[in-house]
Amino acid sequence: MSLFIAEKPGSALSRFWHKWRFHINILLLLVPLGFMPKYFADAALFRGDTGLGEREIGELQVGPWSVRLAELRNEAPRLDGPAGYMKNFNAALCSACRDQVKATYLRIGKPRSLRAAGVIFFGTPYRMGAMLPIPEKTKADAELWVTMEGWDGSMHQASIPLSQASPATLDWLNKQGGRP
Amino acid sequence: MIRRNSLSAALLVLGAGFTTQALAHNPMCECKAVDAEQIQCTGGFSDGSGAPGVTLDVIGYDETILVPGKLGADSTLTFKKPAAEFYVLFDAGPGHVVEIDQADIQAP
Repeated sequence: MSLFIAEKPGSALSRFWHKWRFHINILLLLVPLGFMPKYFADAALFRGDTGLGEREIGELQVGPWSVRLAELRNEAPRLDGPAGYMKNFNAALCSACRDQVKATYLRIGKPRSLRAAGVIFFGTPYRMGAMLPIPEKTKADAELWVTMEGWDGSMHQASIPLSQASPATLDWLNKQGGRP
Repeated sequence: MIRRNSLSAALLVLGAGFTTQALAHNPMCECKAVDAEQIQCTGGFSDGSGAPGVTLDVIGYDETILVPGKLGADSTLTFKKPAAEFYVLFDAGPGHVVEIDQADIQAP
């Protein structure tokens, strides 16, 4: 009589697993493949290979200068914790004004002063980015104001309706049901 | 040992999933009336850091600065409610501002 009790043969599934478990692990290498299309799409978007952003808004004339605007993502604003909902916009300065413009700002509604001109675009003049807070009570007829400050001290402003700048944001606002 | 390894693996996966967000730190400011006369504003950034010493001005609708102030060590500033119409400007530098209109300040 053997001192060892022979292991009872398990179910077919159990035997299959014990026989092949190490080989099956190789399948795990396939998991990243599923994420690759999104990864490469994002990489191209952030490199600028697919343009300034997912949705181009167009050229906006601001005084003597102009700026090309785009939504980074063609989607509703995203929640950034306690700071509220945020929307990313990209911008590129016109070739003639790259040396003249010191700062470009973005704000919902007309700024009260240059100090309160809104969020600032940062990055190279060819591809700048800004993260604009979108208050939940923003009205559907709101306008996006671009303020540009020159190295010579001059300031120019222009506006574009939010419905034109970001239809996705407008849809999102309408879905909120116009919160007070 | 195996359990510890799988726990660290799970944490790694979780950590990798969360790295893409919360890299930005947007300025935040909240004001509330503590009583009929006083208003208290608290500043900070969305990454959880405070804003001691950051400029917070109370500005009239006519753009005159009614109360020039700086946030204290606890990132708050308490000031007397101005008689004229005003808004609060939390100013952490160009493009890093938060405006709060008097209409958006909660009553006590």
